[in-house]
Amino acid sequence: MTKIGLEIHCQLTKLESKLFCSCKANYRQYEPNTNVCPICMGLPGTLPRINQKAIEKATTIAMALNCSTPDHIAFFRKNYFYPDLPKNFQITQLNIYGETSIGGSGMIMVGDKKIRITRIQLEEDPGRLIYEGSSSKNQITLVDYNRAGTPLVEIVTEPDFENPKQVRDFLNILSDLLENLDVSDPGLEGAMRADANVSIEGGNKVEIKNIGSFHDLEKAVHFEITRQESLHSRAIPIAQETRHWDDKRKITISSRSKEEELDYRYFLEGDIPWVEISKDLQEKLKAEMPESISSKKERYISKYNIPEQVANVLSSDKFYSDLFDSSHTEKNAKEIANIITTDLMGLVDTTEKRNESKLEPTHLQDLADSIVSGKLTRTNAKNALYEIVKTGKNLSQIISELDLGNVSDENELIKIIDQVISEEPQAVEQAKSNPQTINFLVGKVMQKTKGKADPKLTLELLQKKIS
Amino acid sequence: MNLKISALEYVEEVKNGNLSAEDFVSETIDRIKNVDEKLHAFLQVNSKAIEQASQIDKKIKSGDKVGSCFGMPISIKDNICIKHSKTTCASKMLEKFVAPYDATVISRLKEQDAVFVGKANMDEFAMGLTTEFSAYGPSRNPWNTDYVPGGSSGGSAVSVSAFECVASLGSDTGGSVRNPASFCSTVGYKPTYGLISRFGLISYANSIEQIGPVTRTVKDTAFLLNIISGLDSHDNTTIDNTGQDYLADIDSGIEGKKIGIIQEMAGEGTDPEVRSATNDAVSKLEGLGATCEDASIDMVKYSVAAYYTITATEAGSNLARYDNLRYGYDFPVEGFEFNSYISKARTKFGPEVIRRMILGGFVPSAGHAGKYFLKALKVKSKLTKEIHEAFKKYDYLVAPTVPVLPFKIGEKIDDPIALFLVDFNTVMSNLTGIPSISVPFTISKGLPIGIQLMANNNEDKSLLRSARALESTVKLPEVPI
Amino acid sequence: MVTEEEIERVAKLMKIDVHDHKEYVEKVHEMIDYFDILDSAGVSDEEIKMKSLPLSSFREDKHIPFEEKLIDNLKNYKGTYVRAPKMV
Repeated sequence: MTKIGLEIHCQLTKLESKLFCSCKANYRQYEPNTNVCPICMGLPGTLPRINQKAIEKATTIAMALNCSTPDHIAFFRKNYFYPDLPKNFQITQLNIYGETSIGGSGMIMVGDKKIRITRIQLEEDPGRLIYEGSSSKNQITLVDYNRAGTPLVEIVTEPDFENPKQVRDFLNILSDLLENLDVSDPGLEGAMRADANVSIEGGNKVEIKNIGSFHDLEKAVHFEITRQESLHSRAIPIAQETRHWDDKRKITISSRSKEEELDYRYFLEGDIPWVEISKDLQEKLKAEMPESISSKKERYISKYNIPEQVANVLSSDKFYSDLFDSSHTEKNAKEIANIITTDLMGLVDTTEKRNESKLEPTHLQDLADSIVSGKLTRTNAKNALYEIVKTGKNLSQIISELDLGNVSDENELIKIIDQVISEEPQAVEQAKSNPQTINFLVGKVMQKTKGKADPKLTLELLQKKIS
Repeated sequence: MNLKISALEYVEEVKNGNLSAEDFVSETIDRIKNVDEKLHAFLQVNSKAIEQASQIDKKIKSGDKVGSCFGMPISIKDNICIKHSKTTCASKMLEKFVAPYDATVISRLKEQDAVFVGKANMDEFAMGLTTEFSAYGPSRNPWNTDYVPGGSSGGSAVSVSAFECVASLGSDTGGSVRNPASFCSTVGYKPTYGLISRFGLISYANSIEQIGPVTRTVKDTAFLLNIISGLDSHDNTTIDNTGQDYLADIDSGIEGKKIGIIQEMAGEGTDPEVRSATNDAVSKLEGLGATCEDASIDMVKYSVAAYYTITATEAGSNLARYDNLRYGYDFPVEGFEFNSYISKARTKFGPEVIRRMILGGFVPSAGHAGKYFLKALKVKSKLTKEIHEAFKKYDYLVAPTVPVLPFKIGEKIDDPIALFLVDFNTVMSNLTGIPSISVPFTISKGLPIGIQLMANNNEDKSLLRSARALESTVKLPEVPI
Repeated sequence: MVTEEEIERVAKLMKIDVHDHKEYVEKVHEMIDYFDILDSAGVSDEEIKMKSLPLSSFREDKHIPFEEKLIDNLKNYKGTYVRAPKMV
């Protein structure tokens, strides 16, 4: 049987500061090595100053993944030399002196499949390396430490996955969950990374490192299974090894372990006392946890009678559910859910677009009300929404500027209908015997009003006239 | 001008207008010029010291608020960072390192208008107890310049003892303040772990070391402690001592106190001169109204082995950052592969540092951690329990600071085990976190002997009181330099 | 027994070129021999623990940029990068 286990690294991008210093946690907007200080540069004499909030947020993640949470946590040093590690050790967590990692064993359901979580640990992200030079003579490595010290949560699973599809489903659920907890923005480049271990029936376990996105993780796992099965079918033994994911060629490559044996010499980080996370604090964190995705979904269905599929989309995306929860009333809930999940989705499908969007909850209320009252057709509501997202102007202004308002004045509409009846005598005759034809006449009215006629009213009036 | 005054006397004199800071500092700088060629207490002298002192004089004259140090010249061990000045740890590896920040102790002393006259010599990265392992040459004992001054804070103790400053800050990982204090006849203090912020102290073995004052008198140590101790948000291991005044009631004596004489620290291997000095000290303590009796702490036997195992492990990790990429010395990276580059760059470390790092790679490594490192940690925790038991019975513990007299430069440098045993009496306080102090007690064959007093965690104030009491029974000759 | 190979392995792990193996083997060997005394301490039942502090005693999550442009004071390359040797 195929067994897949994951190690997922998730940056706590929603924090203000790094794990052990006051530099910015979200380092992305900075020039190389300008989001650094003596602590995250590992200068001699500096000491780590742990971020309270990072511990709270990581504990919240542990709780959301149903992990046990210890009453105190400890930090360890993992010692190895690499240019992206300013101290040449990484401060991380382990369970060698009892359960001292931020999260113990837990589990999460992926459909009907139970995925067990082995452990969750809080650690510092290393810096970034850029390789420069083409010939072996002039090759050097450039290092940018802006990322060094960013709070990173590592989620380790048991090898419970059986296929890449389960991996993908799990990652989708996990990234929605992390976003919903308001701890991380999975859409940011590099915010989520993973290592995987893969083994097939009768074969050794192979580790795949360096997978930079969830999208590639599924591909890497798929590639690796195929590779191993192909070896197996040719009776070639599968070596226990570490392989790297080649981002460009989309294949895994053996790391050719000429690297010296790894010996991390783990020991307690003496500069950080053990941190008490009292039962009271744990209760408080639990109480302050955002409503879970499944609970939101349940609420949307039972309270507003929103169809399950719509509720799914709405609840699993924090951006949407926040919008929905801050705009709907009992009356317009269904309509707002519709606007979000049909019209809005295409307009805000990336983090950048979401950040730039000028849409406010009141806009959605106005839109929904206008549709319910027949002031706007669905088509024009969609056009208005496009303008709102772009400009943030209020709905009435947009309606008048773009001339989107419905022709709901009966007298005016009757004039136009009369005009259409006189222009299309044939169709009118047909409509008398074949009621389907009346839609053609409605279309003609729509044409003349540039889509602004209230379709319900138009039909009613036409039917009256013809009969 | 009399440079041979205590810190408190200095403050009194300047406050009363009998002395100007500028004159005193300038005379101190002259003194350094005269004697330091011989003693080598300093790696660097602050060229702005006199000017800084004159600024403080101006503040005094104009009636501005002046900090409690009044321009007092202080030397600082070269593993404590002073902003925008070189901090080398007496290593070639950090030859060019300029700290971009002040250590917390430095900023607190600056606020109180201290003047830093220079950076004091030490064993490279504080690994040693003779100052012979300085990459810039050894310091010499002012009592006899053929002899080691002790270490690793040798430069600190020499500078205080030879009147090249009024007081100094050293650091004590396994006796590095107390040992040179004993060898040079100064007071040397290792506070309760966490009492003084380590922010800005370049780590050697961070889980057990502390910055500590080196002074002429016990009261001077209390005075400095009042300035530099206490909670610091830059060091998560510091402890809150709000409201403690270490000088208050320091003269109230030790009548009725119970003192344990640690048998393991005064037995076999102890120099007879040192043993007899210890006996004298016990009599003096009894004369002050204390009751002394023999005490035994079983784990002491294992403490040196545990100490070197733990310090080597932590040092191996703390010194890993010196890869010469972000700071260090000139050595271009082109043409090298990463591993070979840093392995070459790191050969700038001296032989003792390299030995301890190899040790530090060995004892915690996958195949050996169970036999060495974990056992050492367990000895540490059992020793701590035994100490807490002992302090249920005793107010203080006493032992010679160093079991031997100062020895000649070069005498033990090639014998690591002999050097281990010099630390025998001091490492216990570091492993258990308790405060301890070395008080100058006598001069034997022209060489100083210090007595070490210890108290329970957070009993620093009480410990200083006992040290002051012992000090008051002693009258010592002046250093012959 | 500490062999030359063992010293070589550890020196490599600690990233230090060792030229004079004999000197290091002898001295390190002596030191490690001395540590054997730990075997007789009888401490197998001891627990390893550290002081713990409540979460509230630690740093609040605030962004405070360092007062200086630190990279200017460090070894730098092309303005703001740190340069390392090539990786294999």
